[in-house]
Amino acid sequence: MVPEAIESPNSVLRVEHVSKTYTTISRESVLALDDVSLDIRENEVLTVIGPSGCGKSTLLRLIAGLEEPTSGTIERQDGRAPFRVGFMFQDASLMRWRTIYDNVKLPLEVLGKKDEGEIVRLLKMVQLTGFERKYPFELSGGMQRRVAMARALVHKPSILLLDEPLTGVDELTKEALQAELMQIIRAINVTAVHVTHDIDQAVYFSDRVLVMSARPGKIIGEIDVQLPRERKLSLRTEQAFYDYCKRLRQALRLPTD
Amino acid sequence: MANGYSHIRAYVEPLILLVVLLFVWQFGLELLQVPHFILPTPVQIAQAFFTPSIDWLRNTWVTFSEALAGFATGTIVGVGLAVVIVESKLLRRLLTPYIVTAQVLPKVAVAPIIYIILGFNDVSRIFLVFLLVFFPILINMATGLTDVDTNLIHLLKSLGAGELTVFLKVRLPNSLPYLFDGLKISATGAMVGAIVAEFVSSSAGLGFIILNSQYTFNTSLAFASFIILIVVGLFLYEVVELSGRLAMPWFQRR
Repeated sequence: MVPEAIESPNSVLRVEHVSKTYTTISRESVLALDDVSLDIRENEVLTVIGPSGCGKSTLLRLIAGLEEPTSGTIERQDGRAPFRVGFMFQDASLMRWRTIYDNVKLPLEVLGKKDEGEIVRLLKMVQLTGFERKYPFELSGGMQRRVAMARALVHKPSILLLDEPLTGVDELTKEALQAELMQIIRAINVTAVHVTHDIDQAVYFSDRVLVMSARPGKIIGEIDVQLPRERKLSLRTEQAFYDYCKRLRQALRLPTD
Repeated sequence: MANGYSHIRAYVEPLILLVVLLFVWQFGLELLQVPHFILPTPVQIAQAFFTPSIDWLRNTWVTFSEALAGFATGTIVGVGLAVVIVESKLLRRLLTPYIVTAQVLPKVAVAPIIYIILGFNDVSRIFLVFLLVFFPILINMATGLTDVDTNLIHLLKSLGAGELTVFLKVRLPNSLPYLFDGLKISATGAMVGAIVAEFVSSSAGLGFIILNSQYTFNTSLAFASFIILIVVGLFLYEVVELSGRLAMPWFQRR
């Protein structure tokens, strides 16, 4: 099942027939993405799930405009503001030489904007009020991830890009951080693209999941996740959650019994 | 309290050992009647500091100022070259072989020739110190400028930042801990450089005193010089260490 890019009046970004070929050091051509089309709708969280090396991160870099596709087009819709992305990575990736406040300020600084109020508001949302003057090394791993959340959102991005976020966080902290991130995403109604190989996290975060094959990355399935828009921590214990995980495993061609 | 006590112990125990060693040294030499010119006793070394013909302060300053001038030059050139070879692929290809060549050539070997080229003066001595210290600074700084979190670069570039912004906001601050590591190595190397330079040619300085104590068999003067060299070396190292801590309150060794 290959979903075509659907005409949708409220799409924020449209990827059409995009392929990406890399040339390795030994001058071989490697096809990372093969004819990928997708449509990101306003206010949804779209997950792209697939095995390691399937080109998920390449897709995010293309969306962010860090790389150009070899063929195909990427259409970015300017909303009320020019198209901008916010990034959350596998690691917190904070600047260890900056205080928490200055880390969150970074995107505004690069864009030449001033918005003290938004910094304060986001630090409050991620429950880090009072930590403004601390340095990253003084914070726990979980707190550092929350700084990264605030930094990804401070400049009101058109799309939040989540590149396997929360990798390497211990399981219990991870569930709490997932819930917190999801709550913030819904509270400020940001559109997000999330790439992961974590089935549980894919279902928990998503309104829609696209399944990618191993290299070359091709979209081989799509699942609409019709769970309540507010994602409670207890969602994981519900039958519907299990059912979606199972469907996703099937789509990934993983054993389900 | 336990912590405070162990902190004091870290100083007291080696000091007790030092006192014991000095006693063994003093009475061992007296017992074996070792002549002064082969190995002076601690008391003779202490007396050397009061030799009327030697102005210790001035000679220490001569060596220290050569080391400091070479260290400063090495820092400026090392940092500058690091920026240049990191930012320009062409200059990196052009300069790297010469930088490595300058490093593999033993500095002691070229020292006599440096004096012929640059003259028998402070310029040669400072240049020798510079040759010895610039490399660790250059290598560490270059590593610090390149060994950055690529995510941060992606983050900045996705917001439209150019190379200059990436350099100023990511590469430069990222390089600080690396730079200070290089400075620590070079601070100690600078004293070595100054002494080597004075061994080859000098009319003052601690290297000059050590060389002359060999000619005159007045070894206690050399030992007194060693003590000053240790103190000055530690001082220089501690100044670098302290500046590092002041410049980087955010830094914790991983």
